[in-house]
Amino acid sequence: MRFILRRLGFFLLTLWAALTLNFFIPRIMPGDPVDALTVRTRGRVSRGALEQMLTSFGFKPDQNVAVQYADYLGHMFTGNWGRSIGQTLGEPVTRLIGDALPWTLGLVGVTTVLAFLLGTLIGTVAGWRRGGALDAILPPVFVVTSALPYFWVGLLLILVFSQGTGGALPANFNYDTSIVPGFSPGFVGSVLSHAVLPAATLLITTIGGWILTMRNNMITTLAEDYVRMARAKGLNPRRIMYAYGARNAILPNLAGFAMSLGFVISGAILIEYVFNYPGVGYLLYNAVQNVDYPLMQALFMLFTVAVLVALLAVDIATVWLDPRARAA
Amino acid sequence: MRPTRILAVALMLTLAATACSETKHKGDSGGGTGATGSSGPKKKGGTVTIANTAGQTWTCNFNPFNPAVYNTSIGFVYEPLVFVNALKDQAETPMLAKSYRWNADKTEIDFTIRQGVKWNDGKPFTAKDVAFTFNLMKRVKSTDLYALWTTAGLRSVATSGDHVRLKFDKAAQPYFYAFAHQVAIVPEHIFGSGAAAKSPDTWVDKKPVGTGPFEVDPCTANNIQYTANPDYWQPGKPYIQKVEYPAYLDNGPANLDLANGKAQWGSQFIPGIKQFYLDKSQDNHTWSPPVQNVSIYPNLDPSHKMSSNLKVRQAISLAIDREKVSQIGVGGQVPVANQSGVVTPTFDKYFDADAVRKAGFDRPDPARAKKLLAGLGYSPAKPLKLTILTITGYTDWDASLKVIKQNLKAVGIDLDVQDLAQQTMVGRLYTGDYDLAYYTQQTTGPTPYYELRQTLHSANTAPLGKNAASNWERYKNPKVDQLLNAYASADPAKQVDLVKQVAQYMIDDVPVIPVVEAVDWFQYNTKDIAGWPTKDNPYAQPSAYNFPDTGQVLTHLYSTSAQ
Repeated sequence: MRFILRRLGFFLLTLWAALTLNFFIPRIMPGDPVDALTVRTRGRVSRGALEQMLTSFGFKPDQNVAVQYADYLGHMFTGNWGRSIGQTLGEPVTRLIGDALPWTLGLVGVTTVLAFLLGTLIGTVAGWRRGGALDAILPPVFVVTSALPYFWVGLLLILVFSQGTGGALPANFNYDTSIVPGFSPGFVGSVLSHAVLPAATLLITTIGGWILTMRNNMITTLAEDYVRMARAKGLNPRRIMYAYGARNAILPNLAGFAMSLGFVISGAILIEYVFNYPGVGYLLYNAVQNVDYPLMQALFMLFTVAVLVALLAVDIATVWLDPRARAA
Repeated sequence: MRPTRILAVALMLTLAATACSETKHKGDSGGGTGATGSSGPKKKGGTVTIANTAGQTWTCNFNPFNPAVYNTSIGFVYEPLVFVNALKDQAETPMLAKSYRWNADKTEIDFTIRQGVKWNDGKPFTAKDVAFTFNLMKRVKSTDLYALWTTAGLRSVATSGDHVRLKFDKAAQPYFYAFAHQVAIVPEHIFGSGAAAKSPDTWVDKKPVGTGPFEVDPCTANNIQYTANPDYWQPGKPYIQKVEYPAYLDNGPANLDLANGKAQWGSQFIPGIKQFYLDKSQDNHTWSPPVQNVSIYPNLDPSHKMSSNLKVRQAISLAIDREKVSQIGVGGQVPVANQSGVVTPTFDKYFDADAVRKAGFDRPDPARAKKLLAGLGYSPAKPLKLTILTITGYTDWDASLKVIKQNLKAVGIDLDVQDLAQQTMVGRLYTGDYDLAYYTQQTTGPTPYYELRQTLHSANTAPLGKNAASNWERYKNPKVDQLLNAYASADPAKQVDLVKQVAQYMIDDVPVIPVVEAVDWFQYNTKDIAGWPTKDNPYAQPSAYNFPDTGQVLTHLYSTSAQ
């Protein structure tokens, strides 16, 4: 219990530190929103009008920084995240994120979990049957694929499965743009078919890491004395593999998994760009490009919270899986 | 002497006469199908899909006062008073104003508003709506996007019958492009009440009520679908019944859809356009007319010793092989610029080729550049070191600068190219924290005056450290200011002369160094859709991001299979 409480305290402290950085870093960054908007409106619009327009959307460059900071901290917790002052001038930030988040969670989230589960399973089996056929083929193949850049794999898949097949699999968007979203079979099918290529890209490039670390952890764990004892006792090999081998081998992987879960919310920016997939990744990219403080702050806050929550969850999971942690 | 004097008197008389008569419009083929051969009404039908990178999913806001979204609403749904064609010597097409009349000193303009036009919700459009729109900009400053009530000196807007009269406190002719062509007229019965009236700048306009050829139906985050306005005031138009505007986040996917014919209207740079786009189908075409310059901006402040030295700037301009920059940098997709700053062939009327030739700027002259630098003590062996800022990710500019770097190296300038994030680069340019910068003036207009004024007028500059509006090189020349100021009340012939005089200062003082021209990116597919603007029939600026030009293009397009 003390362990969990300590972790919670640490969580809050980190959150505060991250939020504070999150407030100040964008303001130290070069560029200001008025310039960005001037560039984007091709200079057709007078600077004074733009400044006033941004002000009506909540941009307060002249306000005392301390007051702004206090307001900001309050707003982060109350969900009053303001309106975008960037490319989507005037849109409530909550709506922008609300629109983009489900797509990222769906695509990147599901794929990340899938990559972890599949990778861990393959790694477990490969490590267990060390030197077998599976071990000889899969890990080297996936080591290579995991070293390939996202966008390159993405473009290759588009070339082969979309261009090469005359558009059998769609290469862009999250659903057919001519469909009006709704829970119709056509829409759901369209969403799924549009997810195939980006999901495959993500899977191909991330699964290798899980396979490799799991396989190596397995091999180290299988050399331990308690595994030898389990074998000597004549336990069911399957039980040795999962309960003695995998349960211990997975521990170092958990933290990595938590981190990657945390990063799900920031999306795979490149994948979203290559596939024109409107998730949170491109939202962040645009927010930074256009010096959109409210959107940037809300997004960074979400990313921070997501990573921290994932780490907290792993801490708890570790306590559950590893009796030694309970004693600490 | 005598014949000229008679001519001058005659000219003045005709001018005085035209000043008070109804303006004759330089017939911009109202029917608009001129060069496509067939004329007359077209049968309705067909869909056009636009592939122009939005960089963001749609927010389904069509408020024409919101600069983030106005190019999806103005032209499609909202319309201006008069359409001015920047590509065809300011040819005018009357839109919501049937005609107009300036007073003699161009401080007052009287619009006759078109009768029988309806808003797409069925309510009649009147002169009151026009006056309301302009007065709204006075009441809510942030909606006055073109600074009409401040910089342009608009003083009052009044209606009488179907007339709307705008009064200015000085000659306002150069602002005509802004107030008649770019301001979209909004309905009083929507913007005059409730939330829209309270904050017209921030109000979210979900279902825009306009007079334009299209209505929004429906809009989703991924796609705006426009359907033809059945009660559009131009009889029989629009021919196209549907426009799809998907939200592309990046150029890659948009270019792909253009190449495979899924989208018919493209408005962006396609690298290697021949193999990637044109060779894919004989229906794929491109025509990207130049509208402004991409230039090297030298810092003219005396604290920047070398870039403010005229000889150095002359040497740079002479050393650059612009033809090569265009070929290697942008695959020949943009024409070369010239030192006078007048964009050709778009503004040929204002271009003085002789003046450029006389000054020796008509071709690269590395020998002369070398001599100029030698006079300052520099040579290829002992080069002058200069840095130039550019924007990271602008790969065509990077390639262009590689060529420029090579050219300059040969004459004795060692160019250090600094790739910066757009924000950083623009920030340093605006505040004058640079030696040289590669950039483009953002404003375009129907004559070179607009770009030259932005670039050269001392009112647009600021001391180092402060944000300069557009005269980033910090050029100050009272004579040039005078010439530019005189433009406002001058007659058309005099305006051409004034532009030529200003262009002479571009040649003499080399305040900026135009390298290549920036174009309106435009790709179009003719498999089913015809009526596109072309080189022979440039009835509007063709990029889908140019408002209200989109409105012109949309009312000219038709489906060939429906005929």
